[in-house]
Amino acid sequence: MDLTTATDMDSYKLLNLALRKGGDYADLYFEQTTFHSIVLRDGEVNAASTHNEGGLGIRVVSGQNTGYAYTESSLPRDREEAARTASHIAQGLIRTSQPAAIATLNLPDRYRIVKPWEEFSPQEKMPFLYDLNDRIFSADKRVKKVTAQLSDSTSQIEIYNSLGIHCADIRPMASLSVSCVMESGGQRESASSSRSFRMGGEFLTPGLIEELAREIIDRTSFLFGAKQPNGGEMPVVMAAGGSGILLHEAIGHAFEADFARKKVSIFSDMMGKRVCSPGITVIDDGTIAGNRGSLNVDDEGVPGQKTYMVTDGILTSFLHDRISARYFQAEPTGNGRRESFRYMPLPRMRATYMDNGPDTEEALIASVKKGLYVDTFSNGQVQIGAGDFTFYVKSGYLIENGKLTQPIKDTNIIGNGPEALARITGVANNCAIDNGTWTCGKEQSCAVSCGMPSVLVSSLTVGGRV
Amino acid sequence: MKQKDLLQQMCDYALQGALRKGAQHARVAAISNTANELSVLNDSIETIQKAVDSSLMIHLFVDGRYGTCSTNKADPAGIDKLLDDAVASVRLLAPDPFRILVPGELRYEGDPLYSAHRGSVDTGVKKAFLSGCAASVWGKDPALISVTAGYSDYRRWLHLADTDGLNCTSEETWYSLSVECAVRGRGDARPSDWDYLGGIKPENIGIGKETPCTCAATALERALSKRNPGKIASGRYPVIVENRVAATLLAPLIEAMSGSSLQQQNSFLLDKLGKSIASPALTLIDNPHRKGSPGYRFFDNEGLRTAKRTVIESGRLNTFFLSTYYALKMQMPPTISSPSLLFLKGGKGSAATIAGSMKNGIFVTGFNGGNCNTATGDFSYGIEGYKVENGQITYPVNEMVMTGNMLDLWNRLLAAGDDALTTMSWQIPSLLFDNIEFAGL
Repeated sequence: MDLTTATDMDSYKLLNLALRKGGDYADLYFEQTTFHSIVLRDGEVNAASTHNEGGLGIRVVSGQNTGYAYTESSLPRDREEAARTASHIAQGLIRTSQPAAIATLNLPDRYRIVKPWEEFSPQEKMPFLYDLNDRIFSADKRVKKVTAQLSDSTSQIEIYNSLGIHCADIRPMASLSVSCVMESGGQRESASSSRSFRMGGEFLTPGLIEELAREIIDRTSFLFGAKQPNGGEMPVVMAAGGSGILLHEAIGHAFEADFARKKVSIFSDMMGKRVCSPGITVIDDGTIAGNRGSLNVDDEGVPGQKTYMVTDGILTSFLHDRISARYFQAEPTGNGRRESFRYMPLPRMRATYMDNGPDTEEALIASVKKGLYVDTFSNGQVQIGAGDFTFYVKSGYLIENGKLTQPIKDTNIIGNGPEALARITGVANNCAIDNGTWTCGKEQSCAVSCGMPSVLVSSLTVGGRV
Repeated sequence: MKQKDLLQQMCDYALQGALRKGAQHARVAAISNTANELSVLNDSIETIQKAVDSSLMIHLFVDGRYGTCSTNKADPAGIDKLLDDAVASVRLLAPDPFRILVPGELRYEGDPLYSAHRGSVDTGVKKAFLSGCAASVWGKDPALISVTAGYSDYRRWLHLADTDGLNCTSEETWYSLSVECAVRGRGDARPSDWDYLGGIKPENIGIGKETPCTCAATALERALSKRNPGKIASGRYPVIVENRVAATLLAPLIEAMSGSSLQQQNSFLLDKLGKSIASPALTLIDNPHRKGSPGYRFFDNEGLRTAKRTVIESGRLNTFFLSTYYALKMQMPPTISSPSLLFLKGGKGSAATIAGSMKNGIFVTGFNGGNCNTATGDFSYGIEGYKVENGQITYPVNEMVMTGNMLDLWNRLLAAGDDALTTMSWQIPSLLFDNIEFAGL
């Protein structure tokens, strides 16, 4: 997709065509993305991939209904055909609205690129992977295998809509993932670690490599002494950082307003009501500099912003795209996101976290007689309507008489969103954002992040031996 | 020009370009795809989508080094630029002597694969069909909050070629219908459930048939039956896993049989080839050549010829899934990079009939999250389903977790039903396991 072939005038004409049968709103989403990755396996960086793609997605909204089509072609006739296809969602025979005159939005720069990725060759990236590999092998004789992947992408997007908004954004993404297999006495264990930011080549530093090497060694070593816990209901202390998966699964999805609009979320009727204890505030934030989930502008031209979903225990905002905002007569919250030009936007999270509370992590642990402390996670899921959510714990400890004791691993924890929120009985003052490669899979893949201070949930169901 | 010829032309251009830019070998996959989607929310069309895609994936073998590049801009100038950059990048990598094209004796050289419906369905017909499907339940039950019906179809052409003479073509269509119903449950809860149909022809999902579609009624009935669930006491229970979710428990076994897991020593099936890994009740066959099923194929993504294989026979592990790359690294013969159409050999009966002989157990109808440690086989999955008492499926259970080790689990397989769903590429019937750990109350 050559963005420069779309002028303001061309775009206005396409919007006009898209609204030819009626419809309340139309937008154009131009995208050009370049992706690179290199892989280290068995001690060598010996695989590389490059991918580039581009296209234009055209959407027409009529009430709550959406027509969508995309084209990979930059030919005017193909773009016009996509506009005509999208226009079919409107049932009318005549135009009911006219696109507004186009004006360009000025946007902040939350992910300034110091070293553009296109200026990096594999030769400059490879030493970092070799350094990571060497550090891991030299740190522990039990290491048998290391695999590492460095990926970068740069997306140029440009949006025009019938409200007259035009904006453009350049979105970088850098990710480094490593996995390690160790063996000792016939026991094999594997773990993985990652970092991801919206950054250019300045992402790669010796400090990053050292930190990741140390973390993967610690994580894999830990598993040798760990075992699956005994299962059942028990209090769970969730460590600061990746425990934000609790917020993402337990409440974040249920607060995405498309579910509320369709009345299928368990929180559909709870706006303005208490959903957790006073003092608890939960935020979805697109404004953290360089964060994986941050956005200067969302994918329907709404500026990135910070949204307070729960304020002092009260549900204060859903996460909106333009369709749900209109339905609820609320302002869009900048959560209209999509995987690429091939998809229509949906309400999606960005960086979801909880504000600090008054406690310390030590005090939360000390208050538990028999329970679990969990600190690394791999995946989660939620049933929006029933409210049941789960997250998979890679490591943690038993808590016995207020102290961390036996290391544990590989347990799925399950709870019910509203009940789990109400059972948060302690919040520490150590909020941390987890900067791993979190990716949300609601119909489409979207880069997100999450964070949390350490919290105590008085009862969750822990999977394990019985 | 026909789509097939256009894709072959793209492949030829890319292969010649790769050689011209300095590669000694190359493989190219060109794909073209058209897709349509419609959805109905309650009583009105909610979304209409149309997609037309193309993509080109080029595998480059340059001076003993390997890399890939891909694009959806398959014009000659775009391909040339892509190849210039990619060949230059690949030259900077370390050599990898294990990257090869598929050897001639393993290469697929037969007829094009045609697994497609010849016609197309008018948009008006799709709308009417989908609206009728949703209307069959909308407004019919006071507990029903929403019904979402989704229709999709696609037609996909693939041409796969390499510089050693590989030339494979396929054309496939798939039509699908999914329906989800959400109902009012206890308190603010809104349990939901779904049903699905799929096939290579519109008739497979009920379009053009006189009998009304029952998907929505099934989804509603299932959602209603999930109201007011509860946990039961933690303990060991016999368990029936329903046909439509049983593949979840098979996936970690397949993952552990893959070359990437095995070669990286990240597999609980390392050193298990030829050995008993499961109960004699488990026989698993990969049969790629059953026409009309999803997963039907003559060749894999390298051009390796597919063949019928008994993966596990009466509990004994017979084969791994090895691409040419991992096979060479492991000094074993290549098989296929991944399974195509898996059949778990069934016995008799459906989940309900199997439950008839269960005194006190759990019938799992859905998994909620969870994972399996590929190195050790330890797993933990959230579940939902029903309590079984004295042969009867009784009340719904949720918020429980099933935990164990994969090898132990599959050694506890007592029986398989005969109710595998033909709309899935892994056709696994309902399964009965004995004495599995569940955490609940």
